[in-house]
Amino acid sequence: MRSVAPPSIAQQLAAKQREISVAEFFERNRQILGFDNPQRSLLTTVKEAVDNSLDSCEEARILPEVTVQIAKEGEDRLRVTIDDNGPGILRREIPNVFARLLYGSRFHSNRQARGQQGIGISAAVLYANLTTARPAKIVSKIEEEEAAHVLELFLDTQKNQPRIVSEDVLLWDRPHGTKVELVLRARYVRGRQSPYEYLRGTAIVNPHARILLIEPDGTRVTFERATTDLPPIAKETLPHPYGLELGELGYFLKSTKRPTLGEFLAKDLQGVSARAAREVLAQCALPANRPPSSVHSEEQERLLTALHGAALIAPSGDCLSPIGSMLIKRGLRNVLGDVRPEFYAPPVSRPPKVRAGFPFMVEVGIVYGGALPPDQPVQILRFANRVPLLFQQGACAITNAISNLDWRRYGLDQRGGSGLPSGPALILVHVASTKIPFTSEAKEAVAEDPEIDREVTLALQVAARHLRTHLSRRTRRDLAGAKFEIILKILPKLAEKTSHLTGKPVPDLTPVITRIMDVVNLEAAVSRDASGVHVAVEAVNYTPRARVLELFAEIPPEAMAGATFDPAPDGTDPALGRAWWTLSKLPPNGRTKLALTFPPKTDLDAADLDWYVAGVDEAHLLGADPLPGDWDVRLPRTIVEAAEAAAAEGAPADGAEEEVDYDAAESSAGASDDE
Amino acid sequence: MPRNRAPAPATTSDEEETAVRADALRPTLELAEQIWNQLDAGEIPRMRLPLRTKQNLEFRMREGVWKLGRQMGTRSARKLDGALMLLRTFYLVDFINEMAKSKKTSTLRELYYISEAWQEAKFHSEDESNLLIEDLEVLCQRLREDFRLHPEENGASVLGDLTIKERNRKGIVKTINCRDDVGDGGYALPFNVEKGKIEFVKTSAKFVIAIECGGMVDRLAENGFDEQYDAILIHLKGQPARSTRRFLRRVTEELKLPVVVFTDGDPWSFRIYASVAYGAIKTAHLSSYLATPSAEFLGVTASDIENYDLPSDHLSEQDVRALQAELTDPRFGTAEWRSEIELMLKNGKKAEQQSLAKYGLNYVTEHYLPEKLAEMGVL
Repeated sequence: MRSVAPPSIAQQLAAKQREISVAEFFERNRQILGFDNPQRSLLTTVKEAVDNSLDSCEEARILPEVTVQIAKEGEDRLRVTIDDNGPGILRREIPNVFARLLYGSRFHSNRQARGQQGIGISAAVLYANLTTARPAKIVSKIEEEEAAHVLELFLDTQKNQPRIVSEDVLLWDRPHGTKVELVLRARYVRGRQSPYEYLRGTAIVNPHARILLIEPDGTRVTFERATTDLPPIAKETLPHPYGLELGELGYFLKSTKRPTLGEFLAKDLQGVSARAAREVLAQCALPANRPPSSVHSEEQERLLTALHGAALIAPSGDCLSPIGSMLIKRGLRNVLGDVRPEFYAPPVSRPPKVRAGFPFMVEVGIVYGGALPPDQPVQILRFANRVPLLFQQGACAITNAISNLDWRRYGLDQRGGSGLPSGPALILVHVASTKIPFTSEAKEAVAEDPEIDREVTLALQVAARHLRTHLSRRTRRDLAGAKFEIILKILPKLAEKTSHLTGKPVPDLTPVITRIMDVVNLEAAVSRDASGVHVAVEAVNYTPRARVLELFAEIPPEAMAGATFDPAPDGTDPALGRAWWTLSKLPPNGRTKLALTFPPKTDLDAADLDWYVAGVDEAHLLGADPLPGDWDVRLPRTIVEAAEAAAAEGAPADGAEEEVDYDAAESSAGASDDE
Repeated sequence: MPRNRAPAPATTSDEEETAVRADALRPTLELAEQIWNQLDAGEIPRMRLPLRTKQNLEFRMREGVWKLGRQMGTRSARKLDGALMLLRTFYLVDFINEMAKSKKTSTLRELYYISEAWQEAKFHSEDESNLLIEDLEVLCQRLREDFRLHPEENGASVLGDLTIKERNRKGIVKTINCRDDVGDGGYALPFNVEKGKIEFVKTSAKFVIAIECGGMVDRLAENGFDEQYDAILIHLKGQPARSTRRFLRRVTEELKLPVVVFTDGDPWSFRIYASVAYGAIKTAHLSSYLATPSAEFLGVTASDIENYDLPSDHLSEQDVRALQAELTDPRFGTAEWRSEIELMLKNGKKAEQQSLAKYGLNYVTEHYLPEKLAEMGVL
């Protein structure tokens, strides 16, 4: 009798080994993939589809028109439809693009794009299949074909393969585009981390896109495009050795068509000159004429070490797609219109830098005031490769960079000089890179990195300095506001009362008014009508002496071309957007007006114009700055003399400042006999 | 520039009224003229006023009271607050001149409401209007009564053998004995206690005892303290009103009676005593008219709390701050007061007058007061 040996451990284990179905994979990684609850699942679905739409439009150089419609389909079900005017998808690709995980065109490309891994939209399809047992419906038309293809798809969870349940063709009223329709278990909310917030953020950093959101209750929210200029296409570039890992190097060596190692290094990699290639090969003792495919793994390791240690040309930023400071401003202004912020700091676009072989760049915008809540932490809008980051704010390197800056220096409240500042401000930070280090596969937060931190901090500081300048100007304006209140409201009444009590005539207040104000005030107001955009400027000489004012305007050059001026300027420099006037002599309390007219629909507001006055120092100017030295304008003799005389005179001998302010002393001394 | 001389007391006797009132308002018009001249000369309008702060209190040896010192402040239209106060001043001057023409008077509270019509110059609190009236008193060296402004609250009540004559609203002179002709509440002081309104007739009292709380006044009255010790009891009602302080001043000056002040044993009561005896900070311009430099502090002292083992409370944070503020108050600059304040800070305890009831209802009149008064040489 033969005894039957019990199965060995290896056999037992082998019996348990089997392929993990994608359904299981999905189930276990729901959180990473962004489908852990009904609210978030909806957001992830919208996000993946919209990212795809924008990426495809950008590649095809099409101005995107994206519509997201969310409709109720049952107790806890929503029908989500996203359609775009993108280039469309070839019939044979449709099943794989939408119903197969890890299938995509961008995984191996070395340039900035929104999506990369090829999980996104198929995961949404799988989620819809699993939660409602309904297929995804895809409609797509390419320009070359007459009709659109309509496919209904399931993702086969055993094989990770698409399963087509129906197919049809459709005459579609558009030349090209794609529509995805999914029914899924989901919940619609508005507010934080909602599709609304996501689309709003997307609209800010994609001002060339027009996005329409139709909410379940029928509300239509349109994020109108703010520009018809497409962002420059990010170039696909060769991989740079600094960012290369061993496995990738091996892959490139195997798949290259270059006959020799020397040629491979110089032509298939970025930043390696012929000379640098020779040096690298000498360093790792490999002959230049070796066929690349023959380099074995130990040699590959030596080669990589040599490459990492070599002095190479830094990776180029051409493959990045920054938004650009002008478009950040437009995007913010477009979307924040109803908040009516009082100040947009000129957005900062830092030059590209490199970390671990990958180029990256940082952009920052700050908005202040208006209807933004004054006593809460500032709003932070984080973006990675033009995609809004809505989750994990606290774990993000961007948030940390903001928290580590001492914002008190720049005029925001911040307890103890660190942590999130508070105040009516919104801070936008965009990090663009061919490889952004995320804290996790869910791509919700940028991981800590000293290079990125440094760039974000530098960009924040530049924008924050503009904020500080604005706030200190505002303080001066407020102070001036108090003075205006005195001269316009209180003094006339005081004169009237004392005249009444003494029975004397009301005195001329001009000398007192000019002594209190002692500034030249400039005010520019913008109004629009069918005939154009009108800028009305008024200069008032609230100083005790008559002045000839030399007034300079700095106007965006593109707006200056169509502008007319009344009176005509004494000189202009259209290329630099400059115009200047010598105004007739203004007596104390005297005023004069200027009118600028621009063609209708000129994109211009009061903040786009800068005003300078020559011969008056900063302390005696309101609404304008002293003429900077670099304008290099030859000033009329009278102005120069007036300025010299004012400088020689020094501070006004008034002496009033040394006295104790009676009302301030009263209140600060405090102690009375009562409690 | 105003000098800190005591203003002439207002009077209400009929024959003098018209002349006095006209003279009373002349300085207000001079003030208007001063500002008009500044405006006309192109100067930024401003006024200089002595600072009414504790740092600007000076002791006047001759009078024995604390008065305003020489530190001046400026109220200037250069700043919004100053400009508003100047404008308010002339709304006020205009108002009191109009009142004089129509022979009306106004309470301080009514004035506060009158200012509703002054637009940006209106008062935001009654404190603000009271302070401005005091400013005008200082600037014009007049009393608010001269401006026909008076508080609605009357002064304290008086209980004891003191006979006075009061000319009432209808002009009838009543003779009142403050013990025999009044009810349990005593004789209530009107807001005007000047000669012409009130005259002293006679008294058998040997001293005056000014008491912070009503409960203690009642206790002394019920125990017959005033009759037994020939005392006049005056209820201060907390921080005493101007009329109460003026009345105390007149009683000591004209009847030559000593005054003792009997309060709770806490920092706020020290201030009550200081404003009675030395003059209050906000009305230091009126000290020679309102303060009673001979008034002495009877208690409850910090040492009383220990010596009589009185039930006490811990000093609160505000109490401690108040005591510390008193250490920098020149009125408490004597060695006695310093040691008293420092002792209270050290012990960290305060006590109410009525805590003496710990030893029974008669203890205060049979033991505490006789002992303290004997110590002070009053009895």
